[in-house]
Amino acid sequence: MTFAGAAAIVRAVTDATPILEEIRRAYAAVGITLDSPATYGTYYRLLCAGCGRMVGNVGDRLLPGMAQDLVAGQFDLYAAGLLGCGCGHQRERARALDATRASAARARYGG
Amino acid sequence: MTNPPEEMRVIEDAEQRGRTDLWPFWRRAYALGDPLPSLACTVSRPEHRFDEGDRLPDEYRDLLLKMLRHEGERAGNKSFLGLMATCLDLGEALFPAPAKVLKAEYLAEELKHAIMFHRIAVGLQHDFALRDVPYAHYAFHLPRETWADDAFFHFFVDLNGAFHSRDWRESSYVPLRKMAATVERDELGHSEMGYYFLQEIVSDARGRALAQALLPKWYAAALDMFGRSDSPNTPRFIQWGLKSVGNAEIRAAYKGYVDRKLAALGLDLPDARAGRRFL
Repeated sequence: MTFAGAAAIVRAVTDATPILEEIRRAYAAVGITLDSPATYGTYYRLLCAGCGRMVGNVGDRLLPGMAQDLVAGQFDLYAAGLLGCGCGHQRERARALDATRASAARARYGG
Repeated sequence: MTNPPEEMRVIEDAEQRGRTDLWPFWRRAYALGDPLPSLACTVSRPEHRFDEGDRLPDEYRDLLLKMLRHEGERAGNKSFLGLMATCLDLGEALFPAPAKVLKAEYLAEELKHAIMFHRIAVGLQHDFALRDVPYAHYAFHLPRETWADDAFFHFFVDLNGAFHSRDWRESSYVPLRKMAATVERDELGHSEMGYYFLQEIVSDARGRALAQALLPKWYAAALDMFGRSDSPNTPRFIQWGLKSVGNAEIRAAYKGYVDRKLAALGLDLPDARAGRRFL
């Protein structure tokens, strides 16, 4: 087996972990995609689902429930443009998810 | 005082040439006096002292390896290099231009630590030198989606390293004791770099709002990094001279330090029990 083949299997196994799925789902809700493992399978780039630009990174050892809580807790920051890509995709996504709350967040934080 | 080996003089020379008004951040912090609290052992315990090449008691070796696995800054640890790669990614993608070079200095200094801990690993157990040990604590895996996240990461997580290194000044393992002061100083400097970034960030209203909103995530993780207060291993670490104080004591000292610094930034302190996973 080639190293590349072995790496693909490792990646597939890693990708299947419940925590990674939870992270993927949590970020998908606000328009952010989990990229392939950045280095050695432990850390992942976060990419804007609108334009593909890197907007951060995350590791795969979060505790159960943590990714969902963190992303949900940051809703207002995405809505106000304090987090997320400069292209505005997460901001728009927040507005689509909950227009009233997004509007209140923008009023609170500006932007 | 003996002269350092030639290769270390080259590293020292490289560090000297990297000095600016800001870098290394530890210089200003220590110029004002010892920035860290003392961590003195208050329980009665036997005197131990082991050097490289000494035969180590099995339990001592196990605990020392456990501690070094947790520490992670080792040239042969792929997961450490992976963590450093994430720092490069963030520096490139999210940092304002003037901060990028500071981040690069930080990375250079962490790689110096990786060489230092590599030497300890080789001297302790050859097959440990190339062992990959992913960071187990969730604090190393929290999402970093903005410069402010990364500033908190350095302020809190590198400071945790400084506190542990302070404790190693009294370590019964001589190689660790010898490098403790350097690692402590550097890690404190990395924390001060994060703090400097935070000072920049909170200097405008939106930045301050962002920092205040992100603080609970990092504050809880930072306090959790010291582990459970009732960890059954702690008395064994203390008895062997690998630690001086328990998790609750070092956490309390750390909390006092960070609370003062956060208050000086004008940030409201989160509830110290909110979001905690390891009390």
